[in-house]
Amino acid sequence: MTDPSSPAQQRAGRSAAVARAVLDLAEARRLSGQAGRIDLMTRIDEATARLGSDDVPVAVVGEFKQGKSTLVNALLRTEVCPVDSDIVTAVPTVVRWGKPPSVTARLENDDEVAVPFKRLHDYVAERTGDEVPVRAVEVRLDRQLLRGGLSFVDTPGVGGLDSAHGNLTLGALTLARAALFVTDAAQELAGPELEFLNKTAARCEHVIIVVTKTDLYPEWRRIVRLNQTHLAQAGLQVPMVPVSSFLRLRAAARNSDALNAESGFPRLLTMLRRDILAEADTLAARAAGQEVAFVLSQLREQVGAARAAGHDPRTGWAIADQVAEKSRRSQALAASGAGWQTVLNDGIQDLSADIDHDLRERLRGLLRRGEALLDEDDPKNNWRDFSAWVTREATSAAVDNLFQLVQRTEELARDVAERFDLDYEGLDVDLPAPELVLARIHGLDAKFDRPSMQQFLNAFTAARMTFGGLVMFGAFGSLLGLTLAAPIGLAVGLVVGRKLVGTERQRQAEYRRNQAKAELRRYIDEVAFVVGKDCRDAVRRTQRFLRDEFAARAQQVERSANLTIAAIREAAEAPEHERRQRTAVLDQQWQELDRFAAQMAARPERRSA
Amino acid sequence: MSDHILTQVRRLLMRAVSTVDDPALTLALERLDEPLRVAIAGKVKAGKSTLLNAMVGEELAPTDAGECTRLVTWYRDGQRYEALLHLEDGNVEPRPFDRVQGALRITLGRPAKDVDHIEVRVPSRRLRTSTLIDTPGIGSISADVSLRTMTFLEAAQDRAAQADAVIYLLRHMHSGDVRFLEAFHGDDIVQGSPVNTVGVLSRADEIGSCRPDSMETAARVAARYQSDERMRRLCPVVVPVAGLLAVAGATLREDEYRTLAAVAAAPTEDAIDLMLTADRFGSPDATVKVPVAARRAVLARLGLFGVRHSVQLIRGKQAPNAQALAAALTAHSGLDRLNEVLTAQFVSRGQVLKARSALSTLDLVVRSGKYGALTELVSWAEEIRSAAHEFVEVRLLHLLRSGRIPGKAEHLADLERLLGGSGAEHSARLGLPPDAHPHRLADAAREAIARCNRLAEHPLSQRELRNAARAAVRSCEAIVIALRY
Repeated sequence: MTDPSSPAQQRAGRSAAVARAVLDLAEARRLSGQAGRIDLMTRIDEATARLGSDDVPVAVVGEFKQGKSTLVNALLRTEVCPVDSDIVTAVPTVVRWGKPPSVTARLENDDEVAVPFKRLHDYVAERTGDEVPVRAVEVRLDRQLLRGGLSFVDTPGVGGLDSAHGNLTLGALTLARAALFVTDAAQELAGPELEFLNKTAARCEHVIIVVTKTDLYPEWRRIVRLNQTHLAQAGLQVPMVPVSSFLRLRAAARNSDALNAESGFPRLLTMLRRDILAEADTLAARAAGQEVAFVLSQLREQVGAARAAGHDPRTGWAIADQVAEKSRRSQALAASGAGWQTVLNDGIQDLSADIDHDLRERLRGLLRRGEALLDEDDPKNNWRDFSAWVTREATSAAVDNLFQLVQRTEELARDVAERFDLDYEGLDVDLPAPELVLARIHGLDAKFDRPSMQQFLNAFTAARMTFGGLVMFGAFGSLLGLTLAAPIGLAVGLVVGRKLVGTERQRQAEYRRNQAKAELRRYIDEVAFVVGKDCRDAVRRTQRFLRDEFAARAQQVERSANLTIAAIREAAEAPEHERRQRTAVLDQQWQELDRFAAQMAARPERRSA
Repeated sequence: MSDHILTQVRRLLMRAVSTVDDPALTLALERLDEPLRVAIAGKVKAGKSTLLNAMVGEELAPTDAGECTRLVTWYRDGQRYEALLHLEDGNVEPRPFDRVQGALRITLGRPAKDVDHIEVRVPSRRLRTSTLIDTPGIGSISADVSLRTMTFLEAAQDRAAQADAVIYLLRHMHSGDVRFLEAFHGDDIVQGSPVNTVGVLSRADEIGSCRPDSMETAARVAARYQSDERMRRLCPVVVPVAGLLAVAGATLREDEYRTLAAVAAAPTEDAIDLMLTADRFGSPDATVKVPVAARRAVLARLGLFGVRHSVQLIRGKQAPNAQALAAALTAHSGLDRLNEVLTAQFVSRGQVLKARSALSTLDLVVRSGKYGALTELVSWAEEIRSAAHEFVEVRLLHLLRSGRIPGKAEHLADLERLLGGSGAEHSARLGLPPDAHPHRLADAAREAIARCNRLAEHPLSQRELRNAARAAVRSCEAIVIALRY
């Protein structure tokens, strides 16, 4: 759902760290061009696009009718999210930056439909008609806050926090950078809310509790204090911000700073900007910095060797031999038998099997518990509650499974990256070449040279929304579409009624029970199918992502080596004056690289890395 | 006829008491002559104590923004104000109490876990017809409980309960909520079934964010609840009530009226500014010349919606004095409508409900097995149950409302009304105004008899439907007889 076509526009609103990272990337691109490395230029272009287009998703969660949509409206000073006293938001609404403003609805059959603003209401509210159900709605607005890179996901309040919908919300949280937990000042936090908060805090790094509707309740300060006590008792350290969306919207209408200050929103905005957005920006800048570092290390190796050969062709030949050896070895790094490839392939197989097993295990447990519940009572008495319970448990299993998948893929990415680092370092380990080592040490930060796994992991985490987002807003949503059909016996039981003799009544109950069990098994099979397919797709995407990423790196390393050899040869074979000329250019390049490397090494975000 | 059933049950219980010596039976017998017991139940912070105060017309139960009621408290009519502790071990002891701004503060003098419930005696006309029971809120309940809720409610119809009828307080909730039905889940003193339960959509003023049309919004929500099939099985009527308004309507003081009138007299801009938020209304540096303490006091009593609504009424010259304002607040609060519904649902059927509770107690004693089979008592009880038409009506209403009787919706609605679903009065059963002429009532009853007979004899009618139709015929015949009498 991201639109990489307009990174430059979006960047404009982002922080200094990102702006600097953009300049760094541009410089690295220029230097790559100078050294004739189009492959590295492409790499930099991709990184630049990523930096500009990644949103920082903030999920807005909470119970039904706590003012979630109004909060999003008030944050953005707009009325775009439909608000009604009775009707509820039933479809997740993503609000992100875009120009011109637009609304797109993604339907159950994966069609995307442009929606006029006036009709947004019809798409977001619960639909009872027989139109194609809406899976998610995306609203693009040109607002300063969004331009900065934040995006908001207004989650449905349908069904309560511990329902199937609530579970899906938890799934979305796994993918969001931050969560705003909304509760109103009418009463203190209730049991289910605290429980949900606990789960939220476990899945999401930044959680802010927003206490809404402070304009309506004289006692809101007490409620905030009571909530603080509850949080302390639950051992949760979560900041709480009381706000009045009503005042903020009124402030917007009258352009009044005083009203805005009274609304409590400035503090919330500061937290969003300072804590969440700034941190995301730092991470993005760091990832870009590491990308630059990788490119720089490749360039330095190539230019350094060519320059050394230019100054002294004899050293040049010795270096050429070693680089040739390195080139051979880096071919192995790119080949399918490389250590990191083995780690990846084995890892993916394990992961795939484990996630599959995990899902099966969870669903089997659900089946057992469901059957036990059916044994306890006649389905005609509790069918409705039973099916609500089953869908809730099934989504819970699916979401936990997804959470596990995300965690495991991150572990695997780390393993592969680590192994790749080892392989990469191994390229030089037993090369008997003091001169090359000399060249490397010359002003070079050792850490700098490594295709640090951190760099990659940042990029991987950023891509999480892309993997998971597909799962969350994609096929995963179809879980809600699966339903349990009521046993036919229910109707029969109603008709024949109470006067049946005992045994006949029992026989009928047994019949209904068996039907209900069969239905339960069918439903669980279907859940296993849908979720299993989603997870397999996600695993496949992960595998492809990791393989492409490291293969590209290996190729670039190999290419660096080959180009170095070519440069040395050329330098050695060239006539004296031409070699000098060429060396002068290389010296110039080398100095630029050196200066840039020193600059990069002094960046604050690198020091903290 | 109703006296009749109570007499029958009383006779049975007297016999039972003389046969077996069980304190539960003695209590049940005494209870037959007491006012109907109505429990007020609901989740935490639903506004139970506030509603109780509104119904008694006095600020008795302490209310607070935080969770407040922790012990079951009975409010009974008495000669004077008294607080009695009923202890776990069965003893009763009077306790001293004082009143903070009207609300009772009772010194327990012992750990709360030793106390079964508190009984408060209050000289009050409104408590003469029914004893009100305030209950602590139902907290969060686990998923398994939710699953058993239906089962539990089904069973409740023959289980003895301490309360004869239940008012369930609901906050605004979504009908797809898993915990939707849990809102009805009580503890052992309040067990509802669709014949003795009335739902109240509480804190109705807050549903529409305290905007002027809040009560209309609340009415819409209540109508939606009422049309929910699951909801109908639990309580067929849902009434929106703004508790704070109702209490204020019952207890509004002259000085409070003066405060509100002073706010209303301020320039429009200032008044709007003042009432923009609760904080501003209680702010010490407001431009309106009304003492801040007085403003805070009325805000605490009426809530922001109450204040806004009152000021609007006073400005619109619709409330020239405290009495007029109090009446207007009560009317707007929905309390009148609740009282109407309570009369229709409980009071007119009070004796049946009480008899039903008494029989349940007897069942429980028999089932405990402590005194042998007690065959004679059992068959006597069974006889009363099957012979008394009131019981048949109640049972059929239960079946109708829980969707157990197959048939066309219009037929079922008709039967429900004839069997007393909207009130046991003749006019209510026949769907005519209360002041309808006896001739008109009798005509309508005859028509209904013909209608139900057709239904009962229609070859395609299911047996359950036929039974219900026959019972309705009997109910209508009773009306005709009573009118001729």
